[in-house]
Amino acid sequence: MAGRQIYNPEGFKNIEKDGSIIGYQFEFKAQYYRGFTLSIIRDIKVNVDGVDEPRENIRLTVKGETFTLDETRTMIDPDYRWEFGDYATVTVLRDGGLSKGSHHIKAVQIIAPSYMPFQLEPVCETDFEIK
Amino acid sequence: MGFDIKRSISLYSYQDEYYDKKLDLEGCLRETAKTGATGVELLAEQMIRRFPLPIEDEAFREQWFGWLKKYNLEPSCYDAFLENHIYDNRTLTLKEQVKMMERDLHLASLLGFPVIRTLVSTPMDVIEGSLEYAEKVGVKIGLEVHAPFSLNSGWADGYLEMIHRTGTKYFGFIPDMGIFCKNIPDVVRDKARRHGASEECIKIVDDAYAKRIEKGFVKIKYDLDLGKANMEYRMANGMKEMMDAVQAAGGGPADMEYAGSSFTYSWSEPQDIIDNIDYIFHTHAKFYNMHEDYTETAVAIPEVVEAFKKAGYKGYLSSEYEGGEHLRADMEVDSIEQVRRHQEALRRAIEG
Repeated sequence: MAGRQIYNPEGFKNIEKDGSIIGYQFEFKAQYYRGFTLSIIRDIKVNVDGVDEPRENIRLTVKGETFTLDETRTMIDPDYRWEFGDYATVTVLRDGGLSKGSHHIKAVQIIAPSYMPFQLEPVCETDFEIK
Repeated sequence: MGFDIKRSISLYSYQDEYYDKKLDLEGCLRETAKTGATGVELLAEQMIRRFPLPIEDEAFREQWFGWLKKYNLEPSCYDAFLENHIYDNRTLTLKEQVKMMERDLHLASLLGFPVIRTLVSTPMDVIEGSLEYAEKVGVKIGLEVHAPFSLNSGWADGYLEMIHRTGTKYFGFIPDMGIFCKNIPDVVRDKARRHGASEECIKIVDDAYAKRIEKGFVKIKYDLDLGKANMEYRMANGMKEMMDAVQAAGGGPADMEYAGSSFTYSWSEPQDIIDNIDYIFHTHAKFYNMHEDYTETAVAIPEVVEAFKKAGYKGYLSSEYEGGEHLRADMEVDSIEQVRRHQEALRRAIEG
């Protein structure tokens, strides 16, 4: 009994800039049944090992372009939709990134399709390894 | 009165295979054709990447019509999403919304669809403001009648008044067969059990649902504040009493979730189809779980199809599989087999 895959198991990694680790990354698919403009993402919350990441340290990359969560609010270009079934990359800026070994992530995608009287807030959890 | 009921599949049904990239758009069309369905319903925003750009591109349309020819399919309905809160700080103006609706009518016509599906959140003014354009491009606007909404209700009367006042032939209803649920689908109950719901609480909820059917559902009112209308509807249908009973029986989160989800389903009399047939030109044949013997867990397929036949319906019944959402967190979803069984059940009911 294996449920649907939300995270790319290969996507978890620390990221480096100029020789130092400036944060970590993961890839996940939107838990909604169609593609949408980034403007209807109301928030992405990230919690790793019980620690909430500050919103201003979160970046979203879709089709090679990276946005802050304030920038996505006005993003309606068809070339940067979060397509149904595609991974988007989340980068969390954090000096030193994550330690090598096992971790647990709990991320929430807050998406607001216009026709719904409430927002979607799927909680996406998994264990992962930083090598 | 003769009927002409055709079978279609909404590609929404194949979303789990699409999500896993086991099927692409052409793969979904191929699977549709294999079932014997002759119609295809599309959520362009689900399966056309870079929506809406490719639809304006002739090369893409050539491919689309090439596929339809190859698989012998006919476009039945285009499911539109009026993203009137595309920005978080305001609602689009009426004019912007009408333009968005006209864009969807235009896109649907480019892909050969005779009908677009619009959602209950679309303001009446937007529908009325788009009728002239709908007529110009020859595409009808169908309002989805999805639980908790229903035909023969104060809510539906608001739209009938508009139809009669304008005399339009380009607006009507698309009933979703989730409004004909005799019980809560078994996949929902099984999920509750996996998540730790107790048999006692499940029984309280199932009995409450049976009681709603026995008494007749109190209908929802017309209100653009959908959250408010929905809460009033739930309260009028005994939500508080049911929730109190679940709580008294020591209900936890899984029990509460099961109780809340019971309002996703409703029962209308199939006679509602007959009464409103002049305004129905497409139908979502919603289903949740098809068993091997071609019976559905909750939707009264034979009775509803019988009503369509009696009414002399000329149009599609379009399979819309929605059971996957109750399985996918815990197990693999086989939409292809589910849809195959559903099409066979529809075929038997139509031809029987």
